[in-house]
This record gives sequence, C-alpha cells and structure tokens, in this order.
Amino acid sequence: MIDPGTALAAAAAAALLAAVLLWPDRGVVWRVSRSFRAGDRVAIEDALKHLYDGEARDVPATLHSLAGALGVSGDRAASFVERLERLDLVERADAGTYRLTPQGRSDALRVVRIHRLWERYLSEETGLDPAEWHREAERREHRTTDAQADALAARLGHPRFDPHGDPIPTAGGEIPPPPGVPLTELPVGRVAEIVHVEDEPSAVYAQLLAEGLHPGMLLRVSESDRRRVRFEADAEEHVLAPVVAANLSVSPLAEDAPMPGPFERLSGLDPGESARVVALSPACRGLERRRLLDLGIVPGTLVAAELRSAGGGPTAYRIRGALIALRREQADLVQVERGSEEAGA
Amino acid sequence: MSREPSAAACAACPAHHVGNLVRLGVDMGEWDYVVGLAGNPNTGKSTVFNALTGLRQHTGNWPGKTVTRAEGGFAYSGSRYKLVDLPGTYSLLSSSPDEEVARDFILFGRPDVTVVVVDANRLERNLNLVLQVLEITDRAVVCLNLMDEARRHGLAVDERRLSRDLGVPVVPTAARYGQGLAELNRAIHEVATGAYVCRPRRVGGRAPALERAVRRLAGEVGRAFPGLPSTDWVALRLLDGDRRIAESITTGELGTLSRDATVEPGPALARAVPAGAADLLAEASALRWQVGPDFHQTLVEAVYTEAASLADRAVTRAGERPRFDFDRTLDRLVTSRRFGIPLMVAMLAVVFWITIAGANVPSQLLSRLLIDDLHSWLGRAAAAIGAPWWLSGFLVDGVYLATAWVVSVMLPPMAIFFPLFTLLEDFGYLPRVAFNLDGMFRRAGAHGKQALTMAMGFGCNAAGVVATRIVESPRERLIAIITNNFSLCNGRWPTQILIASIFVGALAPAYLAGAISALAVVAITVLGVVLTFATSFVLSRTVLRGEASAFSLELPPYRPPRVLQTLYTSVIDRTLFVLWRAVVFAMPAGAVIWLMANVHVADRSLAEHAVAALDPVGALLGLSGVILLAYVIAIPANEIVIPTVLMLTVLSAGMGGVGRGTGVLFELDSASETAAVLRAGGWTLLTGVNLMLFSLVHNPCSTTIYTIWKETRSAKWTAFAALLPLGLGIAICFLVAQVWRLLA
Repeated sequence: MIDPGTALAAAAAAALLAAVLLWPDRGVVWRVSRSFRAGDRVAIEDALKHLYDGEARDVPATLHSLAGALGVSGDRAASFVERLERLDLVERADAGTYRLTPQGRSDALRVVRIHRLWERYLSEETGLDPAEWHREAERREHRTTDAQADALAARLGHPRFDPHGDPIPTAGGEIPPPPGVPLTELPVGRVAEIVHVEDEPSAVYAQLLAEGLHPGMLLRVSESDRRRVRFEADAEEHVLAPVVAANLSVSPLAEDAPMPGPFERLSGLDPGESARVVALSPACRGLERRRLLDLGIVPGTLVAAELRSAGGGPTAYRIRGALIALRREQADLVQVERGSEEAGA
Repeated sequence: MSREPSAAACAACPAHHVGNLVRLGVDMGEWDYVVGLAGNPNTGKSTVFNALTGLRQHTGNWPGKTVTRAEGGFAYSGSRYKLVDLPGTYSLLSSSPDEEVARDFILFGRPDVTVVVVDANRLERNLNLVLQVLEITDRAVVCLNLMDEARRHGLAVDERRLSRDLGVPVVPTAARYGQGLAELNRAIHEVATGAYVCRPRRVGGRAPALERAVRRLAGEVGRAFPGLPSTDWVALRLLDGDRRIAESITTGELGTLSRDATVEPGPALARAVPAGAADLLAEASALRWQVGPDFHQTLVEAVYTEAASLADRAVTRAGERPRFDFDRTLDRLVTSRRFGIPLMVAMLAVVFWITIAGANVPSQLLSRLLIDDLHSWLGRAAAAIGAPWWLSGFLVDGVYLATAWVVSVMLPPMAIFFPLFTLLEDFGYLPRVAFNLDGMFRRAGAHGKQALTMAMGFGCNAAGVVATRIVESPRERLIAIITNNFSLCNGRWPTQILIASIFVGALAPAYLAGAISALAVVAITVLGVVLTFATSFVLSRTVLRGEASAFSLELPPYRPPRVLQTLYTSVIDRTLFVLWRAVVFAMPAGAVIWLMANVHVADRSLAEHAVAALDPVGALLGLSGVILLAYVIAIPANEIVIPTVLMLTVLSAGMGGVGRGTGVLFELDSASETAAVLRAGGWTLLTGVNLMLFSLVHNPCSTTIYTIWKETRSAKWTAFAALLPLGLGIAICFLVAQVWRLLA
C-alpha cells in the first residue's frame, strides 16, 4: 500500500504539472502549438491591421506604436518593419511614420474584413460576452482562409457592419469611411444616434459597455466641455470623461428631431400593471432577440405583468394570451410605455 | 404544350412559368394549373395536402437538393390542378435549404396559386410567412387550418376581416375532419382563373432613407428587366445582400419572370443578360452602405410587427373567463412566496414516495418470475435439449439473465414514476416549478427547467437527457445534459441503500441503524444536487461560455390531465423507449460478463486477471479491483453493478457454495449475507463509503451515453459528458481514501 501522504503529494504534483501544461491559452502546450502554427503570419497581419487602424484614425503608425501593438521591443519592431518594406507592404512616410502600400492596404483590408465578420458572428450566434468578441475574433482571424470568410459572410447574410458599428470591407476590398463624428463634437441639445462604439482600448470599451451604450441607441447631450460630457440615453443620464466619450461616434439626426421617450423598461412593471412595447433595446442581439420576437414582443404589443416567482426569480407576463416568464435582464431590454387606457387592464 | 398564352392580358390563362417549372422538376404535361402549398411546420400542411389530393400523389426530391417534396393532383370544375407541397418554413428571409426551395418555387416557378396553410391558434407567428409570400406573388389563398382547436381554445378568427386586410381569400378549415375543403378548392379555382383578383397587402412603414434606396434601386431593376413584377421586393432583397437574387440578375434568370417574356423555355432568348446587370449590382452594393447596420433586423421586425397587428385585429379571445380566473388564483398560490416552495417539495415527495412504495411489490414479483423461475426453467430446458454447457451458460446465464435483471429492476419504478410525472406536466404544474426555481438555477448559469430534467433523472438519466429537449436555449440545454448524471437514478438507489445499511448503518446502535443509513443515502443525493449546481456554474463560465443562450419559459394554461392519453404516451414514449435501449445494451454486457468469468487463460479466468490488474488502482481509490471491473463490464446499467460485484467477489475470493455458479449474476436474500460476502472480499467502511460516492459520481451508463449522443449529435460533448463525472469520481474517491488513511 502506498503511503497516503506520498500519494497525495504525487497527485498534487501531477495536477500542478497538468495545469502548467494544459491550462487554456496560457499552458505550455498552447503556447508551443501557437508559436508553431502562427509564426510570421500573425505578426504580419497584426502589423498591417495596426497601420490600417492608424490611417483610419489619422494617427499614423510609428515604430514605437508598432512595437506596442505587437508587444515586442523597439529593435525587433525596426527589423520587422524592414522586412515589411522588403515585402512591399509598408513604406516610409514623413517624420518617422509609416503607411501601407496599395498591396499592404489590400492585405490589411482582408484581415480587417475577417476580424469584423468574426465579431459579427460572435455577437449573433454565440453567447459570448461583448467584452470577449474582440479577443476571440483576434484569435480566429489568423486561422481563417478567404473561402471560410466568404462562407461566414454568406451564413450571416453578407452583413455590412460589425456589432460595434464598423463597416465590414467587401471581398473586393470596398469600404466606406468610418461613420459618424465623435460624441465630443456633438452640439449640446442635438439628438443623435450612436453609430459606432470603439472596442479598443479594452478598458475604455468595458466602461462604455458597463454604461449600457450600444450602436443604434439615441442620445442627447446636455453638457459638453473639456472636463465631462453629460448626456441622456435610454432614459438614463450618463457622464463620461471626454477621452472616453470620443470613443463613441454618433450620427446627428435632423436639427429639430425630438428625443423620443423617455421610455420605461418592462422590468419596471409590478404584477397587475401593463404597458405597450415600444422597442427592443439594440443591446439585445442574436438568438435572444429572435426569441423575444418569436414570443410576440414587437412594438405595439400590450404586455401585462402577472406573477413573480416564489424564488424571487423571473416575472411572468401575459403576452398575446400566453403567460411567458422573462428574467429581469431580459425584461430590461424591452422598452415600454404606459398608456392611460391600459391602467388596471 | 398545347396552349400558347399570348402576352396580351388573358385573365383566365395560367400564370405559371413552364420553363422554370421544368427546371424545378415539375412537369406540367397534363395539368392546367400549378398550385404551391406553403406553410409553417406543424400547421397540418400535410393533412391539407392529403385531403386535397387523396391518393394521387408521389414523393421525390427537389433537383439538386436533399429536401423532399410531394406532388399530387386534383380536378375541380373541369380544370386539372397540380399541387406541389413546399417545405414547411417559418420565413422566406433567411437561407436554409428549405426556405430556398420554397422561395425559388414561388418566385421562379410562379405558381398560379400559392396556398399558405396557417395555424389559426398561432396566427401572429404564422402571418409572418403569409406576408412574405405576398411580397413575392399576387396570387395566394390563405388556408386558416386547425379551426377546430381554435374553437376549443375559445379563439374566434374573423376571416372576412383578415381577408380584407390581406387582400387575398382566407378559408377556414379543419382539414383533419375534412371541413372547409370544398371552399378551399373553390377559392383556389377562383384565384387561378382570375375570377378573384388579389390585392395583396405589402409591408409598409419603411424609414425615409430606406424608402429612397428602395425607390431608386427598384427603378433600376425595372429598367434592366422591363415588365418584371414586384421590383420593390427584388430591390429589398438586393439591399439585404441576397446572393441568390444577385445571381439571378447576372445570369438573366430574373428576366424570365417579366410579364412579356415568353412562357416557353426558350434556350437563349429568355435568358439574355441585360446590359445594365453589372451596374445594377454595383448600385445595390453602394446603397447597402447607406441603409444602416441593422437593416436586416429592421426588415424582419417590420414583418413581425405587421403580422402581430393583423392578428390582433382578426382574433378575439372569448369564453375563457371563468377558467382564466381559476388559473390566476391557482398561479398566485403555487408561486406565492409563502406556499410556493413547500407545496412543490410536498408534491415531489409524494411522487417519489408513491414510486418507491408502489414499485416494491411488482419488482419482487418480476424478480421472482424472470430471475428465479424463468431463468432456472430456461437452464433446465437448455439441458433437456442437450445444449452444451458453454452455450446455455452464454445464452441463459449471460445474455438472458443480465437482460432480465435490468428489466425487473428498471421497469416497475419507471412505469410508476413517468406517468405520475407526465400527469403533473400535462396539468401544467411542472412549468410553475421551473418558474419558482429559476432564480436559483440562473445563479448557476442554468435554466429553471433543469429542475424538471433533474427530477426526471432521479427516475432514469437517459430519460432525463431526453427531457432536456424542453430547454430551448442551447447552452443551458448542454449544461442540463452534462449534469443530469448527478441525479441519482433509479438504478443506483438500491446500491446506495444496500451499502449504506451494511456499512454506515452498522456503525450506529441497532435502533438508529435504519435512520442513519437513510440519512447517508440522503446525504449522497444532496451531494449530487450540489455537484449539479457547482458543475453548472463552472461549465457556464468556462467551456460553455460561447454557446448561444436565450431564456424563455411559457406557463401554459392549466388543463385537466388526460389520464389515459398520459398513461399511454408516458409508457410508450418514456418507459418502453428507455427500457428498450437498456435491453439492447444489457444483452451484450451479459454475454461479456459471463465470458469474462468463464474464459480461462493460463489457469485463471479473464475476470481474475482483470481484477488482479485493477487491484492496485482500486486500492489507491479506496475501492477494489472487483468494483472497478464491475463498473467497466456492467456499464450498460447501474442495476447490475451489485450482482456483478457479488459474482466477481465470490469468483476471485474462491468462495465455494455462495451464488449460483461461475459468471452467473446473483443477489442474496438478506443484507447480512451480502455483508458477509463483501467483508470476506476485503471490504471496509472506507470501501463502502467510496462505493457510494463512486456510484453517484462516475460515467453515465452506456444507455445514457448513447442517448446523449442521439440528443447532441456531437462526439465531443458526449465524450465530455461521460469523462467529466468519471474524472471527478476518481478524484473524489482518491482524496477521500488518502485523507481517510492519513487520519486513521
């Protein structure tokens, strides 16, 4: 019989070893297989994307910014850029900056297209959290062939925009300029629609997500100066630092367009109360949205809260004659309006 | 073709497109008109098809597709109609093969009439398809089917109002009873001959920017294809990025639909590619950037909204008032904070009590009949006809006995538990249980309905896995499937009770023994529930993070349980279904068990070799080689683990005079005799405790594994569901054994 102390120690050591080797993403096995598989392609594609992003935002890439984006030292970045120049993908512009050659631009657009298609896919067809779309798409983009990208586009119905509102280049490399203007440039009092939420850097994106801001939402700025931007959207007031607010692009509506609402959320109804559906929040996507539509939650539908679960869980609503239970976070996504005629219905 | 309809308006002439129909595999040789039959799944579409065509039908596949189709015919008022059954679809907007077939037929085949079968009970969901069909064709008839059910549910549908709103004939039918079919025939005839001119409703309410884009593109389409009907629709499809329509423009196929194009399948003339095709597509591509990111979404939602408002106007719900109030009162009670949970616990306790108490007698009866009497009778019969010992051993002691064992242990509790459960389900109570418990399950990343699949798992894990179909959210369904094994199933209860009374109960004074061993079994069950929640929590945040998820739970109206029907369906669908699978797996296992014990290699049986090889591993886990081997060869059913353990113990310890022979499964009449055998086999309290743990946490039986594969159709998730509990069980047993020895 093996001594129990020894057995436990051996098992603990084995578990530790397995964890070090196989831990998803950070384990030795993963790192080794990644470096084998990825090699040059990942670094080149990431570099091209970085340069493309810089050009789209009018912040030309430098050796320094490239080293940061690739996570390598300045020296390695310099020798890498030399290689890119030899490959005729990148050329020197003025003042130590670099720009894409036509070939480099077309390669970059290809990667951008695959990246945005994946983000669209992840947002529509999976349950991944929005904060994870970008990272997961980064992982997948390097392994995707053009044929797979086309199949993905066909499956998604050839979408034109990713879930952040960025246009997806066509297979032919056609892409319009990024939509909208930064929120910081929107005049006070003007109603505008959010058309783009920048997903990098991730800390800023996380803050925008936490505020519940999504493309498709309407907003109106009440205060905008160098210290803060204050605006209302989705019946809530938000205050952002200008650097954060600049990561939201908006498209102003007509001069005199009124701000609709404010609307309540379905979750605000107590049992016995009823209201009409105005809209589903733009944050509600993919399967979740299709499910709510299938249940008949469309603009104009009368919804009456009827029961709360004994366990403090979901609330049951009467919708088109059927009694449907919805969780609080789902009911949060449904905007409703109480009408006088529905009182006590 | 005998007729040559001219381009000049001939209202009574058929409108269908012969050339395209031939390419779609429809031969119009002896028919005057062609009718397409569309509809959502489960609307009684095939009943309508059968009722209209009778026996004049045949089935085949669509050209180049694996989608099956049925064709038939009927005659009405001197005209011959060909009826083509289109695949059942919910919409024509997305691009499944079914939807593509249905849409291509309506668009390119241009049937003289398209009949859309809708379920009168779910009008708002069904009208989606009607509205989409009406975008493509002018000539349609709506068949408002299942009117009998609607009447029973107190729904009244104003078909005249609906017909006015839609601009096409609406015919109420109950195809199952042949009601309304004559009217349907007449409506088809009137539309086909042009006696009824449809003015179909088109979904409106487009945003100004979209309307401008559609206008502009539709104009281009009209210029490229003069005389093409529904240019708006083509423009919308192009804006939506519809590849099929874009292709039909570049090939010129779309041009064949122009009103003035020839009807004959001319090889070249109808398929000339218009000069502007490339420009048209470029224009569409440019306009697509302007219609906004959620254009497709907006289109879908506009149709939903329109359908819902049409349904609201046409349907009135009446006559349910008294029932409704009763429902409401009952709902308040069963979901109330004070009574909801106690009521549920009481209800489930009663179900389990009835199952356990009620199964006792028939179990013993079956066991005496199948295992004692029939088994020895078969043995004697085999001897009487002079079968060699190995043949009768293999067939009677191996294959037959294992099968009989599984049946006699499994059948009675399942035949009681499943009908009771189904009755509660049918009454409408179980969805309320899911409703009450959802808060708890939500925190673990699971679905409230998992409470029901878990409860089903206490009867049988295979049935529990099948029951996860009620969880419509993919992620939560996988969680329910993978964790179902932690519900201690019917086949494992006897093991737990037996081992608890031998090893745990024996620790306590005699008057407490029963209570203590019962407590031990309850503790194991609770551990299973805890593991279910813990595993759900971890899975939903790690490996299953990326699976799509959407909660929904409908609380159907209460209705008086249909006892006979419930009995029938629960016995057929659940009990016999599961039993059959178990039997199929038990037969070969019986053979393997017998062979292991009776095939000798170098003086020892295979079983003894295996036990010797597994003993060191068993010792490490606080179990034994016998137990591990029993779990390997008795994988088809947990019911035969203890008999296998006993047989192997007797075999490997060389105990003469106990049991019924080499390789023959047996059980002993009293717990004390069993205890004596097990102690002689080297069992200690630790072995007993670890066996109870391992019995709860190990791989599912092969019946369940097979069922998981059937339900998920994924080798990955099946392997995961089998290996996760096995690995967990090994880890738990190992830890308990080592810590136990360290402390002892």
